[in-house]
Amino acid sequence: MDPALVKLALGGLTVLGVIGLFFGIGLALAAHKFAVEINPKIEEVKETLAGAQ
Amino acid sequence: MDRRHHILVCTFFIWVLLLTGCATEHRFVKKVAFKDKNKVVMTFAGPVDETWAKDVANYSVYEKQDPDILLKITDIALSPDKRTVTLTFEDALNQDQAHILTVTEMMSAGRSQGTAILTVKKLYFGYLFSILIGAMIINNFVFTKYLGLCVFFGTSQKKTTAVGMGITFTIVIVFASMMSWFLYQFVLKPYHLDFLQVVVFIGLVSLSVQAVDTILRKVNPALFKAFGVYLVLVIANCIIIAVPLILADNEYNAWESLMLSLGAGTGFLIALFLMSSVREKLELANVPPTFRGLPIAFVVAGLFALAFLGFSGMSIF
Repeated sequence: MDPALVKLALGGLTVLGVIGLFFGIGLALAAHKFAVEINPKIEEVKETLAGAQ
Repeated sequence: MDRRHHILVCTFFIWVLLLTGCATEHRFVKKVAFKDKNKVVMTFAGPVDETWAKDVANYSVYEKQDPDILLKITDIALSPDKRTVTLTFEDALNQDQAHILTVTEMMSAGRSQGTAILTVKKLYFGYLFSILIGAMIINNFVFTKYLGLCVFFGTSQKKTTAVGMGITFTIVIVFASMMSWFLYQFVLKPYHLDFLQVVVFIGLVSLSVQAVDTILRKVNPALFKAFGVYLVLVIANCIIIAVPLILADNEYNAWESLMLSLGAGTGFLIALFLMSSVREKLELANVPPTFRGLPIAFVVAGLFALAFLGFSGMSIF
C-alpha cells in the first residue's frame, strides 16, 4: 500500500480520536457541572400508580 | 466570580472570530475597492515608486471564476502623495463577481515589498447582509430547497410550538455551524481529511444539541421545559447538516458563516410561523376527508413555495 495513504489514515484516526476524546470529556464535565438532582421519589410514586393514562 | 469567568470566555471567542474573520491579505496594501464602472483603487501603507506604479506589466486582474481571461488595463493613475493607485480598465467590470488582482514586486522607496494577491469585492457589510437575506428569504431552505420537511410538518400545527421550535433551531444551528466551520478550516483541511466532513459534522451537531440540552436544563429550567421535545428533534433536521456542508463547499470565512447559519435559522422560523398560522385556520375549514391532515398541509406548503419563488433571482446590493 502507498505509505502516503497509510500516513493519512493514521493521521486521520489520531486527529478524529483526539477531537472525539476532547468533546467527550467536555460533555462529561458539563454534565457533571450542570447536574440536576431528580427526586427519586418521583419515580417511586410513578411506579406504584396504575399508569393506564 | 462565575459571571466574570463567562465574560472572559465570551471576549476570548469574539477576539478569535475578529482575528480570523478580518485578516488582511497583504501588510503593505491597506485597501482595494471598485470605483465607478471600470476602475479599481488601491491604497498602500507607504509611498510607492512612480516607475514601478506606472508599469502595466506589474498588474494582472481577472475574475475569480475565469483565471485565464486577463482584463485589459488602459490607464494607471498615481495620486500626488504616491499612496493611491487607480487602475482604469477597457471594459466595465462585473462588480458582482470577486476579482483577483495580482501586484508583483511592489517597490516602495527603492525596496521591494513582495508580491500581493488581492481580492477585490463589493462593500463587505452589504455582501454579508445579502448572504443573510438570501438564506432567510430568497433561498429559503424549506420552500426553495425542500430541506427539513419532517420537522417542518411535525411541529407546525400550533403557533406556540412552531415559534419555540424555530427559536431553538436558530440557536443550535448557529452554535453547530460555527463549530463545524472552525473544525473544517483549522483541523480537517490542514490534515487533508475533508472527505470525512459529513461524519464530523453529524457528530458536532449531536454534540451541540446534547450540550445545549445539558446546560439549559440547569441554567434555565423554565426555558428548557418550554422547548421540551423539540430540542432533540433538531438533530433530525436536514438543514442543520446542509449549512455546514455549504460553508465548507464555498470556503466562507467566519462572518459569512455566521450570517448564513443565522439566515438559515431565521428562515426556518419564518417558514414555521407562516405554516402554523395557516394550519391553525385550516382546523376550522371544511376540508374534503381525503385531504384532511398532512395532505392539505403539503398542498399549502406547495403554495407557499410558489409564493417564495417570486423572490428568486433577486439580489441586494
